[in-house]
Amino acid sequence: MKTFKIFENDTHQWIVIGRDPDKPNLIIDTNQYIVITKDNCLLMDPGGIELFSAMLATVIKLIPVEQITHLFASHQDPDIISSLGLWDQALNNATLHSPWLWEGFIRHFGMENIKFNGIPDEGNCLKLDGASLTFFPAHYLHSSGNFNVYDPEAKILMSGDIGAAIEAADAPMFVDNFEEHTRKMEMFHRRWMPSNKAKNDWVARARQLDIDMMCPQHGRIFKGDDVKRFLDWFEELEVGILEQKSEE
Amino acid sequence: MEDNYNYFVAAAVIAAKLNEATKVAKNLSLTASNARAVALRAGEGAAGFKPLTEFIDRLAHVTIISSREINTLAANLSKMAANKFRADSAISRFNIVYKKAAQSEHIHSLDESYTRTKLHQSELSNGYSKQLLKLISELEQLKDELRTAVILATLSRVEASQAGDSFQEQLNNVAENVEVSAGQIKEYLTSSLQLVGILEQEST
Ligand SMILES: [Fe+2]
Ligand SMILES: [Fe+2]
Repeated sequence: MKTFKIFENDTHQWIVIGRDPDKPNLIIDTNQYIVITKDNCLLMDPGGIELFSAMLATVIKLIPVEQITHLFASHQDPDIISSLGLWDQALNNATLHSPWLWEGFIRHFGMENIKFNGIPDEGNCLKLDGASLTFFPAHYLHSSGNFNVYDPEAKILMSGDIGAAIEAADAPMFVDNFEEHTRKMEMFHRRWMPSNKAKNDWVARARQLDIDMMCPQHGRIFKGDDVKRFLDWFEELEVGILEQKSEE
Repeated sequence: MEDNYNYFVAAAVIAAKLNEATKVAKNLSLTASNARAVALRAGEGAAGFKPLTEFIDRLAHVTIISSREINTLAANLSKMAANKFRADSAISRFNIVYKKAAQSEHIHSLDESYTRTKLHQSELSNGYSKQLLKLISELEQLKDELRTAVILATLSRVEASQAGDSFQEQLNNVAENVEVSAGQIKEYLTSSLQLVGILEQEST
């Protein structure tokens, strides 16, 4: 898998892992994000069972396994966290942060060693050595219990399925032409996101954040002005629609 | 800490160590080409040094190729181990079902799945053992190869002492680099071989 460092200061770094060339064909491509601090590491949306070995091998090239002390699952989907049963065997001292709503469901993936920390609906904060990360509520986008991760220092918003695009597994890591990119996002957002109300509430709150990079779990990262473009586009978009084939 | 690793973590750690070894070997290869340049400039004074640089280069080359190979083997092994874990846990769950539903009318409808999974498990197990043996022999071969590094470093020092004053220090640096790089790579190999113990427990 490929790794790209997207942020670094003296307390922590952000790395995105993705574009797995060995990924089986019918599996949706995912981006995994990790924050590495002095003694800890947070693995965000670590991915599905099929990805586990490639992920572990990649992370271990960056840090020793015992430094993986925190996992985060934005919601309960299989592409987010079905690898949990394997991480549970690999990690001796880790905590999974995930919406409280999903605890009983996520445990079905198998969790004996890892501790569960349920994030309350209003969100909260995780301090890792010098870094401070906010679990930012994004409920119903698309999952009914769902969080983003915001890092005010790095000005990064890990937005989970928000901003997701479906495209080739070897696509570039960053959005280069926003207009063109909307075509790869439109269906995903219309179909998977159920609520205009929840969406607009999220957009209003996201506008209050200082964001340099918005990092979705599928597709490409939005940088600079493209973040604002995305918020405008998303606000306009009518979601919760199952588009019927037009009968002509 | 490292001997507490779970087996598929151990395999991934080996892959990572060999990845580091490749980096060191690439440096060694740079050292060799720098040394060749120095030897050329030193001319007659360092005539004996030039053939040595070829040996250093060859050692670097062999190390790069073989650590890449080991890296791939270990990554494969980690993947197989994770699959094996899934098969193992399916089997142990089937066994629970056999116990709990022993009286059930349909219990033997499970037999086919059980046999199939068992077969898959033993295929994975065999494949795993084979790959593991290959990994061990590759690690040991490379370790053997690296023995020449000590000789190369010593010979380099001898040659350096015979070179002119202005080149002596540079050539000594080459010797030093060969020694240090080989030492580092050897360390990665030794600790990888220690981790192999964890993998072996799983193949029985
Ligand atoms: Fe999802
Ligand atoms: Fe997703």
